[in-house]
Amino acid sequence: MSLIALNNIYKIYNVGGEEVRALDGINLKIDENEYLAIMGPSGSGKSTLMNMVGCLDTPSSGVYQFEGEMVQEMDDDQLASIRNRKIGFVFQTFNLLPKATAQQNVEIPLVYGNIRKAERIKMASKALEDVGLKDRMHHKPNELSGGQRQRVAIARALVNNPSIILADEPTGNLDSKSGHEIMGILNQLHQQGNTIILVTHEDDIAQNANRIIRLYDGKITEDLNTKKN
Amino acid sequence: MLLLFENFFISLSAVFANKTRSILTALGIIIGVFSVTMMGTLISGLDKTFESSMSMLGRDILYISRYEWFGDMEWWEVRNRPRMRTEYVQKVKQRSKYALAVAPVMQRGASLSYGEKETRTEIFGTNEDYMKTITANIVEGRFFSQNEDRSGSRVTIIGFGIKEAFFGEKDPIGKYIKIDNEKFRVIGVLEKQGKFLGLFSTDKQAILPIGAYNRVFSKRGWMRLSVKIPEQKIEEGLDEIYSVMRHIRGLKPNQKNDFAINQTKAFEKNYNMLKIAIGGTGTFITLLSLIVGGIGVMNIMFVSVKERTREIGVRKAIGATKGMILGQFLMEAISICLIAGLLGLMISYVFSILLNQVFPSTLDMRLAGFSIFISILVGVISGIIPSYRAANLDPIDALRYE
Ligand SMILES: Nc1ncnc2c1ncn2[C@@H]1O[C@H](COP(=O)(O)OP(=O)(O)OP(=O)(O)O)[C@@H](O)[C@H]1O
Ligand SMILES: [Mg+2]
Repeated sequence: MSLIALNNIYKIYNVGGEEVRALDGINLKIDENEYLAIMGPSGSGKSTLMNMVGCLDTPSSGVYQFEGEMVQEMDDDQLASIRNRKIGFVFQTFNLLPKATAQQNVEIPLVYGNIRKAERIKMASKALEDVGLKDRMHHKPNELSGGQRQRVAIARALVNNPSIILADEPTGNLDSKSGHEIMGILNQLHQQGNTIILVTHEDDIAQNANRIIRLYDGKITEDLNTKKN
Repeated sequence: MLLLFENFFISLSAVFANKTRSILTALGIIIGVFSVTMMGTLISGLDKTFESSMSMLGRDILYISRYEWFGDMEWWEVRNRPRMRTEYVQKVKQRSKYALAVAPVMQRGASLSYGEKETRTEIFGTNEDYMKTITANIVEGRFFSQNEDRSGSRVTIIGFGIKEAFFGEKDPIGKYIKIDNEKFRVIGVLEKQGKFLGLFSTDKQAILPIGAYNRVFSKRGWMRLSVKIPEQKIEEGLDEIYSVMRHIRGLKPNQKNDFAINQTKAFEKNYNMLKIAIGGTGTFITLLSLIVGGIGVMNIMFVSVKERTREIGVRKAIGATKGMILGQFLMEAISICLIAGLLGLMISYVFSILLNQVFPSTLDMRLAGFSIFISILVGVISGIIPSYRAANLDPIDALRYE
C-alpha cells in the first residue's frame, strides 16, 4: 500500500464560463520515505497538486487515498487532524506569524495538537535546534534573514513529527547559499526517514530528490527515477 | 479547555498589538459598562438615602395641610383653601378614635444665637404630642409639657447640630439661647438624624411650644397637623380622619375636600417614578452605547479577519479546525469587550469612591459581575459573524490571498 495514491484526479475551475483544468487526470503513487520533486512551468498545476496531496484541497473528481483511507470521505475536522499530525507545509513566502517569536511560531501546530505547554516548549526547542536556530528562538520573523525564516518554517513543519513534508518552492525567495542550506536540512530530514515532496523551478534543487515528475497543463508528462545508488 | 486558554492568550496578544484601535472601537462598551454600573450605584445610593429619610417620617403619620405634597393643583387654588387652625387639634382628638397623637406644626426660618455664635435655621411650634409624631428621640434633657405649652413658657428643644455648634461638649440644658432676639431656655436636645433626602439637615432645628411660638412670632403663618394612627389600621384611620376633617370644615357630601392628607406613600410613589426615570435613561444610554460598541467591535473583527486572511490559511494548513479558528476570533472579540468592560468598571469604581464623599454610593459586586457578563455577551454577539466567516474561509483561497 502506498502512502499516497492519486487516482485519475481532476481539479477543474470555471473562470468566466471557461474551464481551467488545473489538474487533468493525475495518477500518482508516492511511497513512504520517497524524495519527490515536482517541476513544470508556471500555471502547470504544481501548487494545486501539492495542496491536493496535503489535504487542503479537494479534487473535482477522482479518488485520493491517504494511508489507504479515502480522503473524500473525511470531514473538515478529520482533514485538519491529518494536516496537523501527518503533514508539514513549507511555503515559498515562509508564512510565519509576524508578531510571534520563532519559538511561538513553531509551537502553533502543537497547540492545535492539544499538547501541554511544557512539552510544547521542549518539542519546539528541539525542532529549532534541528534546523540550526537554537540561538534565535526568541527572535521575531523581522529579526531573521530569509533563510532563517524558512528554517523556522521548516521547524514548524516538522515539530509534530509528521511523516510528510510538503515544500512549495521553499528556496524560491532565497539566495542560492540560503537555498542550499535549506536543501541540506530537507536532505537530512529525508535521511531520517521522512517523506519529502518538493516543488521547484530549479534543476539543481530538483537534483536533491530521488524522483522527479514534470507537469504540463495539469498532466504528468514525465516521471523520472533518479535514485543514485 | 487547554485550547480555550491558549486562544485567550493568543487573542490577548492580538488585541494588545492593536491597542489604540481596539480601545477606541470599544469605547462604546466602556461607556455602556460605566453607565450601567453608575446607574445601579446611583439607584442603590438613592435607595439608602430614601429609606433613611422615610424612616424619619414614619408610615403611621398623616400630615394634614392645605396642599398635596406632589399634587398638581394651581397655587391660587391652594391659597384659597382655608387655613389649618390650632383648634382642629382638640376637635380631631375628640372625634377620632384612631388618632393616637395630634400635633399642630408651625414652621418658619429664624436666626439662632448663643453668645457670639449665630446660625439660621428652621424653628417649629408644636404641642406636647409632637414627639409621638416623629421618629427622633430626645438624647439630653426632656420635651416640654402641656403646662409649659399652655402657659407660654419660653423653652426650646434644639437639634443635635445646633447643640454641637453652640455648646460643643458642654451641657446645653438650662442655658439660654436667642431665637430672633427672644430668649429661650434649652430644655432638651434631639438625637442626630442626618439629612432628609440628602437635602436639608434635620439636625439644625429648634422646637418651641406653640403657645410661645404664637406669642413671640405670628399666629398666622403656615400650619399643618401631624396625626399618628395605629400602624395596623392605616386605611381605616385615613378614612376616618378624612370624614373628621370634612365634618370640622362643615363640607356637604357633594363638596370637594378643601384640605389634603399626605402620607409617606406619596414620597414613595414619586421616588419610584424618579427611579424609573433614572433606570430608563440609564438603560437607554447603556443599550445605545453597547450597540454602538458592539458594532464597532464587529467592524474591527471583520477588518481583522480580512487582514489576517493569510494567517488563517496558514493556521488551517498546519491543522487548525474550523472550531479552533472560530474560537480564536471569538476569543479576540470577547477579549476586547472584556478589557473594555473592565476599564469601564474601573472608571465606575473611581467615580463611586469620589461620589461617596457626598452621597452614599458603593459599587455593588453583583452589578460589577453582571456588567462583566454583559461585556462578554457583547463580545460573543459582535464576534460571532466575523469569526464564523474566518472559520469557513477556504484554506486555499486564504493562502493565496494577497
Ligand atoms: N482559485 C482558482 N480559480 C481559477 N483558476 C485557478 C485557481 N487556482 C488555480 N487556478 C489555475 O490553475 C492553474 C494551476 O495553478 P497552480 O497554482 O497550481 O500553478 P503552479 O504550477 O503552482 O504555478 P507557479 O509555478 O506559478 O506557482 C493555473 O492556470 C491557475 O490559473
Ligand atoms: Mg505554485
